[in-house]
Amino acid sequence: MYRYDEFDHALVRERVEEFSDQVARRASGALTEDEFKPLRLMNGVYLQLHAYMLRVAIPYGTFNSRQMRRLAHIARTYDKGYGHFTTRTNIQYNWPALTDLPSILSDLAEVEMHAIQTSGNCIRNTTTDVFAGAADDEIEDPRPWCEIIRQWSTIHPEFSFLPRKFKIAVIGAEKDRAAIRTHDVGLQIVRGADGGTAFRVFVGGGQGRLPHIGQEIASRVPAADLLAYLTAILRAWNLLGRRDNIHKARIKILVASVGLEAFREEVDKHYATLRHEDLRIPEDEAARIQAYFAPPPFEALPKASAPFDRALLADPDFARFARNNVRRHRQSGYASVVVSLKPVGGVPGDITADQMDAVADLAERYSFDELRAAYEQNLVLPHVKLDEVPALWRALHEVGLATANADLATDVIACPGLDYCSLANARSIPVAQALSKRLADMDYQEKLGPVRINMSGCINACGHHHVGHIGVLGVDRKGEEYYQITVGGSPDEQAALGDIVGKSLPADEVVPAIQRTLDRYLEIRTDGERFIDTVRRVGPDPFRDAIYETLDAANA
Amino acid sequence: MLQTLEGGQNGPRLSVTTPLEEVEAAAAVTDVLVLDFDAFRDGRGFSLAAVLRERGYAGRLIAAGKVLPDQARHLRRSGFDAVELAPGADTTAWDRMDQAFSASYQPAVDPAPTIWQRRRAASNDRDLDALADRLNRETAGKDASEIVKAALDPALGLRVGAISSFGAESAALLDIIASENRDVPVVFLETGQHFLQTLSYRTQLTKALGLTDVRLVTPDASEKATLDARDDLWKTNADACCDLRKVRPLARATAGFNALITGRKRYQASTRAKLKPFEVLDGVLRINPLANWDADDVEAWLDENDLPRHPLVEQGYRSIGCWPCTRAVQDGEDTRAGRWSGMDKVECGIHLGRRQVAA
Repeated sequence: MYRYDEFDHALVRERVEEFSDQVARRASGALTEDEFKPLRLMNGVYLQLHAYMLRVAIPYGTFNSRQMRRLAHIARTYDKGYGHFTTRTNIQYNWPALTDLPSILSDLAEVEMHAIQTSGNCIRNTTTDVFAGAADDEIEDPRPWCEIIRQWSTIHPEFSFLPRKFKIAVIGAEKDRAAIRTHDVGLQIVRGADGGTAFRVFVGGGQGRLPHIGQEIASRVPAADLLAYLTAILRAWNLLGRRDNIHKARIKILVASVGLEAFREEVDKHYATLRHEDLRIPEDEAARIQAYFAPPPFEALPKASAPFDRALLADPDFARFARNNVRRHRQSGYASVVVSLKPVGGVPGDITADQMDAVADLAERYSFDELRAAYEQNLVLPHVKLDEVPALWRALHEVGLATANADLATDVIACPGLDYCSLANARSIPVAQALSKRLADMDYQEKLGPVRINMSGCINACGHHHVGHIGVLGVDRKGEEYYQITVGGSPDEQAALGDIVGKSLPADEVVPAIQRTLDRYLEIRTDGERFIDTVRRVGPDPFRDAIYETLDAANA
Repeated sequence: MLQTLEGGQNGPRLSVTTPLEEVEAAAAVTDVLVLDFDAFRDGRGFSLAAVLRERGYAGRLIAAGKVLPDQARHLRRSGFDAVELAPGADTTAWDRMDQAFSASYQPAVDPAPTIWQRRRAASNDRDLDALADRLNRETAGKDASEIVKAALDPALGLRVGAISSFGAESAALLDIIASENRDVPVVFLETGQHFLQTLSYRTQLTKALGLTDVRLVTPDASEKATLDARDDLWKTNADACCDLRKVRPLARATAGFNALITGRKRYQASTRAKLKPFEVLDGVLRINPLANWDADDVEAWLDENDLPRHPLVEQGYRSIGCWPCTRAVQDGEDTRAGRWSGMDKVECGIHLGRRQVAA
C-alpha cells in the first residue's frame, strides 16, 4: 500500500498548522462562523446534534494495522471508545472535544492519515472496489489511480470551492462493487486501443434528493490523460453548475438539465484548451505509485486446502461463515474475508476500540498487514491463506466479529440518522437494529440469499436507500418519524433506482412490512432467482401488495 | 507571492458570476482585469482565472470582493497576481496563508515546481554514490533477500530492473527477487548464440518462479548486419562480439532503469573480488545481493528451495554464456575458467562500465 514520502508528510503537517491558524482566527473573531464553517468542513469537522464530529479519511478504503491501532487509540483517548465506518469508507468519531482536534489530527499525521476533504464542497475521498488487488475478475488494480486522484485533488487551487461536493469512484473490473454509477464521476478501467490502461467515464450519477444514474460520457480516456479529462469535467461544472439552490447544485442536475450531449460538448471545449502536458501524469510517477501496490509475496499453494475443508465438515458455524463471508481470490490457495460490522441488533458500521485492535492484530497475522473498509460499512481482510481461515474465524468469533451475514438481509447499510445527525428527519439506527433482530435467524437469511437493504434518515441518502434492493427513507410527517419504502434499486453495473411503493409507514410498521416483502419473494421466486432478479422480472406490484396488505386490512 | 493591494483598483471590473465568454471578451481588450467575488464560497473565479491564463491572457488579474486569506494560495495558483483589500485589512494573515504550504501536488497556473516534478528531479539528480554507501551501511550483515527488499522499497523511488543470463547459478537470485516481487522486469540478453538448453531453461524457470516481465533483448539488426553478417565475429574478435550482442543491447534495454540487480559474486573472478552489494556504474545503481555468496551458498539455496537446474550443469558447465565461448570445466578449475577459455578475457563487458569496454 502507499507510503508517505517527505512531501506527503510535510503537506499533512502543514495542513494541521493551517487549521490551527484558522481555529485561532475564529477564536479571535477574525473569522466569522460563516467563514470558518467551510474551512473546518474541509478538515472533516462537523457540528452535529450533540457534539462536534470528526470524519477521518481512509483513502480508497486501504489501510494497515498500525493505522487501525491509531484509530483505536483515538476512539479510546478522545472519544467514547468506538468509531463508525461510513459509506465513503471513512471513519467518524461522534464525541471529540473541539480543543482535542489539533492533537487528533497530529496523531493521525504520524501514521500517514488525515481528515482532509472528508467534507465540504470539494473533491471527496475516492472510493474503489473493496476487493481491489484480490478479485479474480480484475483487469488492473484501481488503487494506484485512486492514489493519483487523491494527490491531484488534495487542496486543489481551482476546485476547493465548488458548487457542491464531488465524489469519484474507480473500479478495475466489469463487475461494479463500488457503485460507480451513483457517483459524480465513475471510472472503470478498460483496455485502450493500444492495449494500455484507459478509463470508461460515467458522469452525473448521485443519490440525495434528486437521484440520478451516471451516464457514459467517454468510453476510453487514455490513462495519461485522466487528470486532464477530470479537470475539464470539473471546470465545466464549476462554471455552469447552479449555486442558487443547494439541492440543485450537484453535477447530476447540470448534466440532466442541459443533457449529456451538450454537457459533453462543454467538457470537450475545455479539454481542447487545457494545458495537457502539465496535467499528463508523468510515467515514472505513475510507476512509482504503482510499485507501492505490488501484490504481496503470496506463496504458491494448491487450490484446495485440507484444514479449510476439514473445518467445513467439522463445524457448521464455520461452514456458514465460509459460505457467506469468504470470497474467491485471484491467487490460488488464498481468499478475502469479510468482517461484518452488522451483529444482531448492533449499529451498522460501529466498531469498538478493542475490536479495532483485534482486527489490526489479525490483519498483521493473516493478511499481509492489509485491511480494507467497504462502502457497505464492513471490513475486509483481503489476502488470507485458505489454510488459516478457520483460525481467523475463531479469533473473530472471540471478539464478536464473526457474524456470517455478508450481503444477506441483515447486512444493512444505515446512516447515523437522527441519533447523531443534524440533517436527519428520522432515526435510522433503531430501525436497522429492529430489522436485524427480527431477521436474525441465519437459516432464514440464507434461504433468502443476497438482499441489499439500505436505510437513510433523510433525503440526503447517506444510507444509499435509492439503490438498496429494498430502501428505507426516514421522513418527517408532522413532527413524527415515518418511513418510505422503495423496491428494486441496485448499486452495481445494472444500477437502478428503487420504485417508491406507496405512502410512508410509521416506525413500528417498517420491519414487519420488510419481512412480508421478503416472504412474498420466497413465494414467487423461480429456482435460483435472487431477490433483485425477481423484482426485475415481476416489478414492484407484488411487493407493494405485501407491504400494505395488513395495513389495508386494518384500515378497511 | 500574491500581492495585497489596498483600496479600489483601476481596470474593468466583472463579477465572477459573469459568463466565461463575456469575461474572455473583456480580457481581450485590457491588460488589467478585476474579478469580483460575490461570495467567498463562489469558486467560479478560480476557474475563470485558470481558463484566461491557459488561453493566453497575459495582463494583470486582480481578485476583489469577498475573499478570505485562506484562499490566497488558491488565487495565486489559479492565475491571479493580486488581491484588492479593504483599507486596514490584516495583510499578515494573507501572507501567512499564502505561504502555509511548502509544495503542492497538482500542476496549476503558477510556475512553482509541483511535488510530482520535485520527486522526479530528486530521483534523477540524486547522489547515487551516497545512496549506495548508505544502503551498504544499512544492509551490512543482512541476507540477500533483505538487500533485494531494500532496493525495491518504493520510498527510494528507484526504477529497478534485473539482468540474468539464466545460467548455472541464476535460479537463486531470480527466486529471491520473485519472492519479493514477481513483476520486477528481468532483462535477458538474447545474443542469438545461446545454447538451446539455456533457452528452454529460461522458459522453465520463468514459469516455475512466476516471473511476469522477462524481457528478451536482441542485438540491433542493422549493427549486426554491418559488424557480423555471418555470425562468426566471435572467432576473430570476441570483445567486439560481446559489445555487439551484450553491451550495446543492454544499454538500450536498461535506459529506463536507474537501478539494476545482478547475480555477480566476489568468488567468481579476480575482477569481482571487491564487489559490494550496492555500487554505482555509469550513473546506474548496481545491486549485487549475492556479492558475498560462494558456490556452496548457491548450491544450498537451489537445494533447499528445490529449484530447477540448468541442464548443462550435470555435463560439467559451471558458468554458462554463449556456446562458442563457453566450455565445461574440470574439478579444481575456476568456475569461470570455461568462459572465453584460451583468451585473455574474463568479462563480457556489461559489468565494466563505459571506459573499459573494448573498442
